[in-house]
Amino acid sequence: MFESYIKIFDRYGPDILSGLKLTIYITLISIIFGLFLGLILSILKIYGPKILKILSSLYIEIIRGTPMTVQLFIIYYGIPSTGLIRFSPFFAAILGMGLNSAAYQAEYFRTAFNAIPVGQSDAALSIGMNRWKVILYILLPQVIRITIPAWTNELIALTQYSSLAMILTVMELTSVAKFIGSKTFMYIQSFAIITVIYVILSIVFTRLMVYFEKRLAIPGVSVVRGRGSLF
Amino acid sequence: MKEVLKVIDLKKSYGKNEVLKGVNFSINENEIKVIIGPSGGGKSTLLYCINFLVKPNSGKIFLDGVELTSSSVDLPKMREKIGFVFQHFNLFMHLDAYNNVLMGLVRVKKMRLNEAKETAENSLNLVGIDKKLWNLYPAQLSGGQQQRVAIARAIAMDPRIILFDEPTSALDVELIGEVLKAIKNLALKGMTMLLVTHEIEFAKDIANEILFLDNGVIIDKGIPEEMIMNPKNERIKKFLGIITKEKENV
Repeated sequence: MFESYIKIFDRYGPDILSGLKLTIYITLISIIFGLFLGLILSILKIYGPKILKILSSLYIEIIRGTPMTVQLFIIYYGIPSTGLIRFSPFFAAILGMGLNSAAYQAEYFRTAFNAIPVGQSDAALSIGMNRWKVILYILLPQVIRITIPAWTNELIALTQYSSLAMILTVMELTSVAKFIGSKTFMYIQSFAIITVIYVILSIVFTRLMVYFEKRLAIPGVSVVRGRGSLF
Repeated sequence: MKEVLKVIDLKKSYGKNEVLKGVNFSINENEIKVIIGPSGGGKSTLLYCINFLVKPNSGKIFLDGVELTSSSVDLPKMREKIGFVFQHFNLFMHLDAYNNVLMGLVRVKKMRLNEAKETAENSLNLVGIDKKLWNLYPAQLSGGQQQRVAIARAIAMDPRIILFDEPTSALDVELIGEVLKAIKNLALKGMTMLLVTHEIEFAKDIANEILFLDNGVIIDKGIPEEMIMNPKNERIKKFLGIITKEKENV
């Protein structure tokens, strides 16, 4: 029974490994790109002048209101058809997923900004900070901590969404599995292998984020409770 | 005597609700004035308007002769000179006691780190925050300790005046004393202060003048002896009666 798996690993091991690498790259680069753009969007939406508030809300609504598949098609096929610019499949995947993730992350950040009691901003203003300093030194360090659980969710979601890069012909994990299946007709085995890899990858990401959450916890405030304890 | 703060005909309303209906007063250097009055009378709003955390509708505010209400004023620069101590402390939750005080010195005053540390340590010592509490976070401190750190944060900035918004009303009874003691210490150092408080005994003890604010206007003012010991105004009498009764119940 295991012979077929051994055969796949024997022949296509390096392909699976390079697929995994691409999956990890796409996920991490796009979530970090989304982090910065998302932060900017959320800050503009809360503190920006009216016109930027509207534009930022509009961006968030449009992105969240359309499927990522459509967004990827527009970036990879739509934009080049205007003749202006052409992206590599890898770059198009990162750009599409990053732009998409930014909209979701912006909303996570916005709720976190709003969760910080206004008294702390008052106090910061009262010692003479301008509003950018308040955001940078007082709010942001707390927003990042509050957002970590939601951010973990986003990271796991992006890990799975990275398989959409296959429609742009990027040879990430899912594409590799399909390729192996078509060569060997062992579809079940090759998809079983990547299923296990995706699950392990997600667990590793989750554990990593829980570690950061504990590491960054503010003493007395954001206590990460032990597993299984309700109270 | 040098005039530090002057407030002229200050008005503030939220929609149709007129909270301040033209408030006038001034404070000289080294003076301590205490505002008393019933809840909802506009005491807190007045303090928040003075450093523009709440924008007044009209009227003028001068700090050392500079008009804060003018549109060309550098607001952060002026706020730096007005210390503010909040009812609910409002410490920065992600920083320990030490860094709560240090933050403004480094990020606003741009002090060199050595100098900033020395200033922060002096301020913490002045309010009686022991060295072993310096690295504790706000959530690990008692209310009284938090409020004293908040006072240290304000005085570290070397303000011209400090505004206190009911600094002890969110505290358990047994913690009020330590905060009042810290404020008294500042008084002895000659700090100019404007306090809103319900601690009538303390007000009597510390104030050069007591202002009674009710329904958006200062209806009476005077030295503590006449304002509290034998008030002439009926509303003040009634107010003091209620406050004293509450105290007895506690």
